[in-house]
Amino acid sequence: MNPDQELCLGVECAWPESDAATRQRGIRRARLLIAAVLMVLGGWQFARGAWIQAKAWVAQVLITQAWQRTLAGETQVKPWPWADTWPVARLSVPSLGVERYVLEGADGATMAFGPGHLRGTALPGAAGNSVITGHRDTHFAFLRELVAGTTIVIETPDGAHHLYAVRRTRVLDRSDGWVAAQEGPARLTLVTCFPFDALRAGGAERYVVWADAIDEHKDRGGERADWTSHLL
Amino acid sequence: MSKPEKRTLAGRIALDLIASVALAAALGIAAAVALAGVTLLFASQARAAEAPGEGLLLLRPRAGGEALEAPLQSTTVAFQVSGIVTRARVVQTFRNPGDGWCEGVYVFPLPENSAVDRLRLRVGERTIEGEIREREAAQRSYAAARAQGSRAALLEQERPNIFTTSVANIGPHETIVVELEYVETLRFHDGRFSLRFPMVVGPRYIPHGVADAARVTPVVLRPQEGRAPVNPVSIRVELDAGVPLADVSSPYHQVDVKTLGEGRREITLAEGSTPANRDFVLRWAPRREAAPRLAWFTQSEGGRHYALLMLMPPAATQEARLPREVIFVLDTSGSMAGASIRQARDALALALERLTPQDRFNVIEFNSTARALFAEAREAAPARVQRAIDWVRNLQARGGTEMASALKLALNGSDADTEVRQVIFLTDGAVGNEEELFRLIQARLGDSRLFTVGIGSAPNSHFMRKAAELGRGTFAYIGRVDEVGARMSELFGKLEAPVLKGITLQWPEAAHAEAWPARVPDLYAGEPLVVSASLESLEGELRVSGVRAGRVWEARVPLAGGAQGSGVDSLWARAKVGSLMDSLRDGAPPEAVREQVIALATAHRLVTRYTSFVAVDRTPVRPADAPLARADLPTNLPEGWEYDKVFGELPQTGTDSRWALLSGILFLLLAVWLLPRRRRLA
Repeated sequence: MNPDQELCLGVECAWPESDAATRQRGIRRARLLIAAVLMVLGGWQFARGAWIQAKAWVAQVLITQAWQRTLAGETQVKPWPWADTWPVARLSVPSLGVERYVLEGADGATMAFGPGHLRGTALPGAAGNSVITGHRDTHFAFLRELVAGTTIVIETPDGAHHLYAVRRTRVLDRSDGWVAAQEGPARLTLVTCFPFDALRAGGAERYVVWADAIDEHKDRGGERADWTSHLL
Repeated sequence: MSKPEKRTLAGRIALDLIASVALAAALGIAAAVALAGVTLLFASQARAAEAPGEGLLLLRPRAGGEALEAPLQSTTVAFQVSGIVTRARVVQTFRNPGDGWCEGVYVFPLPENSAVDRLRLRVGERTIEGEIREREAAQRSYAAARAQGSRAALLEQERPNIFTTSVANIGPHETIVVELEYVETLRFHDGRFSLRFPMVVGPRYIPHGVADAARVTPVVLRPQEGRAPVNPVSIRVELDAGVPLADVSSPYHQVDVKTLGEGRREITLAEGSTPANRDFVLRWAPRREAAPRLAWFTQSEGGRHYALLMLMPPAATQEARLPREVIFVLDTSGSMAGASIRQARDALALALERLTPQDRFNVIEFNSTARALFAEAREAAPARVQRAIDWVRNLQARGGTEMASALKLALNGSDADTEVRQVIFLTDGAVGNEEELFRLIQARLGDSRLFTVGIGSAPNSHFMRKAAELGRGTFAYIGRVDEVGARMSELFGKLEAPVLKGITLQWPEAAHAEAWPARVPDLYAGEPLVVSASLESLEGELRVSGVRAGRVWEARVPLAGGAQGSGVDSLWARAKVGSLMDSLRDGAPPEAVREQVIALATAHRLVTRYTSFVAVDRTPVRPADAPLARADLPTNLPEGWEYDKVFGELPQTGTDSRWALLSGILFLLLAVWLLPRRRRLA
């Protein structure tokens, strides 16, 4: 019998193949198996990452409609029927071309679709301290671009536009819950995770951006105290 | 080659092959399991990151809040109980351990219906009586004294149950004592009296719109190994019950009880003092045959007579139990974490078991948001009740305290059909927006009745009492898991027995009576009628009437011959202040109310929201060049609370998307590289 022919006939007629060839064949199969497993895992991981990103950006498009209806006078318009949140403001940074719909509630389920307004803090555009949190790898990735003086525009459901100017940025710990304190002037407090380039979720640091309402800024003129300094 | 030899060789090769395939498979499976494990680990972290993580909003103490130079504070309380009234003297001692001058600011609780009518500042042998002033004026004179270097004390009311003492210019290593006194009507219900003395203002959830948040949220010390709690309190009660006593007990503190007579006892803390971290409660029950039916105290002051009436209607006869709609509301916010949520879950499970299939029910839990178990109230079929109990058993406490959304869900303002609609609200009341919630209850109550159950070691008594009053229900407290059964069955007794309604008081014409509360609330089983009155004469008799289960009840009280009481005038003024403050909710003009309260409080020397006590020692003591440091005294976390659940964290604000994408690509590349390349044939 021709050895080559035997080879393709399988185990029964493996004779007279050497031990080395057998081993090599085993290794080949093992590699094939590992490759298959890696394919499945890699595909799964990639799909998962892509899903988070897709959800984040597609949702913002879907919320556009809900926001139009909100501006038209409806209240608490759910962007999709099973949503448990609704847009409360449109946040934009003209100099960066950024536009985001802010949703009610700063929990993980909400932030998957847009920046979330922390319940219990002032609504964006209202007097007091409005705290908005977002994911550093999707909607709030742009926070790293904000510098003192950058203008932020908040559109409220009544269609009014409120201007804010970034006052300062700072890295804090997640335990610094005081940033939600309501005393002090009308302002936005934007919070996202830090560092921006971290691969994994779950870090302890938070990047916080404070922006003051510009009208109020004018009213008080130059005598304004740095109200954050006593907090920090 | 022989035949057997050939067979052996073939067998060996076959075995080799099987072994190598098995090895490859094992390797592959091991690698897959390991990778899958790693991936799952990441995936579960990602899920954790996506789980609701909201809930902070109790302002975490800022760094530096535990300044070492802060004065130390200790409290001694002496109660003198006579019958249904107690007078308490609270002595706060501020000691400056440092070498500089300091000002101490201490936020502390008092009973919600206390009439604070005295303040003294004591430095060494000197005693300075405090004066009652309109609040801003008192603040000004305190600030002036502080600036001049004079010792001064200021006592302000933030809520009916939260007060602030400020003491200026405590010299190096010096001790200054602030003494305040209050009178209070004791609560008598279900056959026993109870005296409740709160010791700590628990951390409160502050939603948007609470202007004075900073004044009701003192810095809270994080409990630490090896650090003793602050603000020790020692307590002494001289109890003169006026009737023979069956039983005296303190459920939360070890006490020594010394018998001085049939109705007299002296009670002290067994351990001398206790950290200010939970309410002190003393209960005593008169002997059954001596249970009081009527207490009538009078006091003559400035040409008028002040009177305090406590009248116990006869026990209700058991009636057929009417089908009811019961809505249970459970607070599952971060402040309830720990002992409180266990008490609340037990209490709620007990209440659910009590339902009969004719009843309808629903359960609402709330923290940062409110969720109802059923879309609307359902019949209490046994299987459904069991499902509700299982649901309740699994509830965890975390997040904020958005009480308004829960109240809106529970009180839909609709009028119930023929059945009785009762809302049972289990909470610690750790919120700073009480007034907003009271308005909500008033606006949406409809035909419902609201019952509050104060849970935990330091419940907000002002919220419990006022919410129940506006909800036309009643309130109860549970401070320990082993009390759940007894307290809940008392509450069920009240829920199920017919109430005494339409209570009217007819005073003799000549008395020109001014009695508070103006509208007497319905009375639940086991609860007495309590009224404060100011009268011109003590002739004639008061006629009280009401209707219970279709039967008219009447009682007559001769005005003359009441027992002499003290502090009755303060109690009357306090009741009137309470009614005036309530009238703000009904739309009374704020400015007019303010003026009336100031006039009344000035005449009767009472601390109110608009009036404060101030005491100033005129002699300046602090050298003009010595600086004065302000120290806000930290408070303990209430017993059984969990610091990290109360002071939430900023939400999780990152996802694993980049990690998932990157690792996915890496895995795929590796897979391609591992793919066996085509074998080169010679």
